[in-house]
Formats: sequence, structure tokens, C-alpha cells
Amino acid sequence: MKNKVIDIRLPDLGEVDEVCVVQWLKTVGATIAVDEDLLEVETEKTTFVVPAPAPGRLCEVLAVEGATVERGGVLGRIEQPG
Amino acid sequence: MLHLSLGRADYGWTLELQRTLHTRRRAGATPDVLLTVEHNPVITFGRSGSHEHLLASPSDLGREGIELFEVERGGGVTYHGPGQLVVYPIVDLREHGRDVRGFVRGLEDATVATLADLSIAAGRRDGYPGVWVSERKIASIGVYVSGWVSRHGLALNVAVDPTHFAMIRPCGLSVETVSIRDLVGRAVDLDRIRDVLLGRLAERFGWALEASSLVEVLGEARE
Repeated sequence: MKNKVIDIRLPDLGEVDEVCVVQWLKTVGATIAVDEDLLEVETEKTTFVVPAPAPGRLCEVLAVEGATVERGGVLGRIEQPG
Repeated sequence: MLHLSLGRADYGWTLELQRTLHTRRRAGATPDVLLTVEHNPVITFGRSGSHEHLLASPSDLGREGIELFEVERGGGVTYHGPGQLVVYPIVDLREHGRDVRGFVRGLEDATVATLADLSIAAGRRDGYPGVWVSERKIASIGVYVSGWVSRHGLALNVAVDPTHFAMIRPCGLSVETVSIRDLVGRAVDLDRIRDVLLGRLAERFGWALEASSLVEVLGEARE
């Protein structure tokens, strides 16, 4: 059965157009729980830790450290057994 | 919203307290807490802080007894020390519309209103967080949010030793800093300014502040 893949998107933080990725707190392959801390992004003197939108396994990192990501942009992907 | 006035406290000790309260807030074990504190001299580096923006030599720092900390808040290098009023709101932003930018704006607005109460015209500057009196910085912002709960916060210069500010290039900018004392031209009482700022924060965010103690905040009174 094919696994289900879920996008990790930058949440709406208010009037924030873009953020910079500081660091990932999980590595590809890690098992993660919903709402667990995934990665730090920074915007205008604020560090925001993006929570996991769903449980599963971190299967892909799309926004690497130093990358700029716009509101709603895809940061990585979580895989769940289908 | 509990308010805990820590008086004068070491940065490292306060950082650990913030992290403890933040963990408890995330777990729903404590209500929102607002810490106010005046730190012993310290230089901290936020997530985009570069040691290139530290202008003092190790011997200068040693002579003044100034420690360095790498911390999780946003922003660059910052000085904290006597004569500076520091406010750390440990607040669940899910109860503030998950509006991270709006939260920072609110901290700035309350500071601007506090300064207006002292007849100081201050404001925000687009793209340059903090509070400014024309081109001079009077308050710095640096926030961290995980699990939608904030920590770190705001530092308002009430009567800071200007030679200590000369040890850093704040946030990598060649900006001047200024204290309330320099603008009003007389001694100012930090406790009084804290009370004014607390009132303005309560008004801006709709908080009902309730004075608390360390024992109460840590929940040890119930054990």
C-alpha cells in the first residue's frame, strides 16, 4: 500500500510575509509526534518553532538552513504508513 | 496572567526560570506569566547574532564581570544590565489569535505608550523591530515561540551605563542607543516605570495582572 505524504507548511504567523530557516531540530528519517518541535525559523527578531502538523516520519527537508520561505511555503514532508 | 517581579537577578538564573515556566505553560500546568527583572551586566547573542558585533575585548568583559550567552531568541547581539527594565511574557499565543507579529507589535505599542506617559515621543520603525526615539533605540525586542508559547521579550533602557552599550554593535546595526534618563535629564525610578509599563501592557493585551511570587508561580506552595 502506498504511504501517505503530508506537507509541512509555514503556518500563518500574522502579518509575516517570509521567514528564514535557522535550523532543523529533526533529521530525515526521524519519527515525529504531532505538534512536536520540527524546525526554527526567524523573522524580525522572533524565533518561531514550527510544530509537526501530523505524526509520522520526516521523509524530506525542502527548506534548508538559511533558505527564505514565504507564507504557506512547504518546508518539508512527513510520511505516514498507508 | 500572573506577574512576577524578580528585582535584580542574574541572566543565567532567569533564563533557566523562563525555560522551566515555558515548559510548564506548554503542558498547561501554569497560567500565562509575565516576568519583570533588572539583570546584572551580560551580553547575549540571539539566533542571528554574530560575535563580530561584539566590540569589547575579553579583558574588557572580564574586568567588568560581563558574561556572554548564546540564546534561542530571534535577533542579534544585545546588552542587558543595571538600569534596564526587562520584560519576559510567557504567554500562550493560541489565546492571542496565533498572531506572532501582532504580539511583537503589542509589546512595542505598550512601550511607546509608556514613553508617551513620560512625555517622550517614541515609535516603531518598519523593518527595524524595537522602539525608537528618532534614530536612537530605546527598547529592544527578541522573542522565541515554541508550541505557540512565547519566552524572552522586551528590554527598555531606563538609565543604562552608556559605556556598556559601547561594547556591542546592537543587532549589527550602527545605531545609537538612548535611555529614558538621558531624555528627561534627571534620575528616573525604574520601579515606577515598570508599573507604568505593566499598566500599558495590561491595557494593550487585555490582561488582568495579578502579583505573584516565585513559590506560587512554581507551584511549590501546593506540595
